[in-house]
Amino acid sequence: MIDSEQHTYIDMIAREARRPVATDRAARERIMTLVRSEPAPHRRSSVWAAIFQPRFSLSPAVSTLLAAGLVGIGVIAGAFAMNRDGHQVGQPRFAAAQRLPVSDTVVKFVFVAPQAEHVSLVGDFNGWDASKTPMVRSEHSGLWTVTLPLPEGRHLYAFVVDGNSWSADPNAPFAPDDGFGHANSVRIVNRGS
Amino acid sequence: MKRSSLRSLPLRAGALLCLAAVPAVAQETDPFNKLDPNNRFSIELMIDSARNAGLPSDALRSLALEGIALKIDGKRIVDRVRREFTLLRTARTTLGPVSDEEVKAAAAVLNAGAKPAQLAAFKTREQGRSDLQAFTIWADLITRGVPSEEASSAISKLWEDGADDAIFYGLWKSVQTDISQGLNPGAALQNRIRETPVRTPQSKGAPPEG
Repeated sequence: MIDSEQHTYIDMIAREARRPVATDRAARERIMTLVRSEPAPHRRSSVWAAIFQPRFSLSPAVSTLLAAGLVGIGVIAGAFAMNRDGHQVGQPRFAAAQRLPVSDTVVKFVFVAPQAEHVSLVGDFNGWDASKTPMVRSEHSGLWTVTLPLPEGRHLYAFVVDGNSWSADPNAPFAPDDGFGHANSVRIVNRGS
Repeated sequence: MKRSSLRSLPLRAGALLCLAAVPAVAQETDPFNKLDPNNRFSIELMIDSARNAGLPSDALRSLALEGIALKIDGKRIVDRVRREFTLLRTARTTLGPVSDEEVKAAAAVLNAGAKPAQLAAFKTREQGRSDLQAFTIWADLITRGVPSEEASSAISKLWEDGADDAIFYGLWKSVQTDISQGLNPGAALQNRIRETPVRTPQSKGAPPEG
């Protein structure tokens, strides 16, 4: 086939393709009615779509309340799941109920403070946090005690009386001045001591 | 934006905040956040340096936490941590490859006022013998007012004679009692050191609890 014949056929096909098609108006309406009555196609589900393309709607007030509730739950759950050092807690606080690591030894601390309302133990084993190891007062005495597991080695500690007064243990060796104007004591924990 | 999207915006924001809440709580409770960023950086740098130098970096962290708990000025905490770093390094250099606990105890002795040369007597020891109790009593005696030279001499002599933990503890208990009754600290040590029996390491009993 030569080029001029090929162009002629192409032109014919193009003309035919461009020619308007006469359709029955009633038939077109019937088709469109059927299309509109079909449900929308199901979208592919994903986590992203679930969060950002919700298929329900709430009033702004209800949405805000719900959001505040979720944040509250998150904060409370976070506070329970983490201790003050940001480490997870899931164990009881005191020695007697704790499962000890193999190398730890249960050590008892005793402090006499008859006038105190509250005494806690701070040291290098609890990040010097007075809220972590409160001591228990023996009934009808000024004796405050606590037991806790400590790893073998040398430990610095002090007692915090009523939340503000730091005292060294009078029955243990003193540590040198910590540089902060407070006295600490030293407890050496040997395996099996 | 569609009306439905606007309505659910707080809900989406809440869900994202909820997911972020747990780590945020953990971050807020890090005690080091209470420090000025520059001081915090200085302390963390020293802790890293100590770790890299094979020094017990937990001693520096503990010291910083103690300062934070006592609400001490950040600059003062940095100075004290820096001093402790130097003491730990000196103790490690003097004693050689001993345990981290012994390095910390030796640093306390230096902090109390002993000289590095006085620590050198503890460089060699029988296998398994620990100088933790000796260092602890040594530091305590100086802290209670016993002159550094006298305390160093007495503790070194006992150590060389093979004294065990019980002997060091017994000496401390006696001297502490005498001092609390008003005796001069130096005299109390001199009196008690004369009557302190020295046992060989083979005959040592169970060490007392400090």
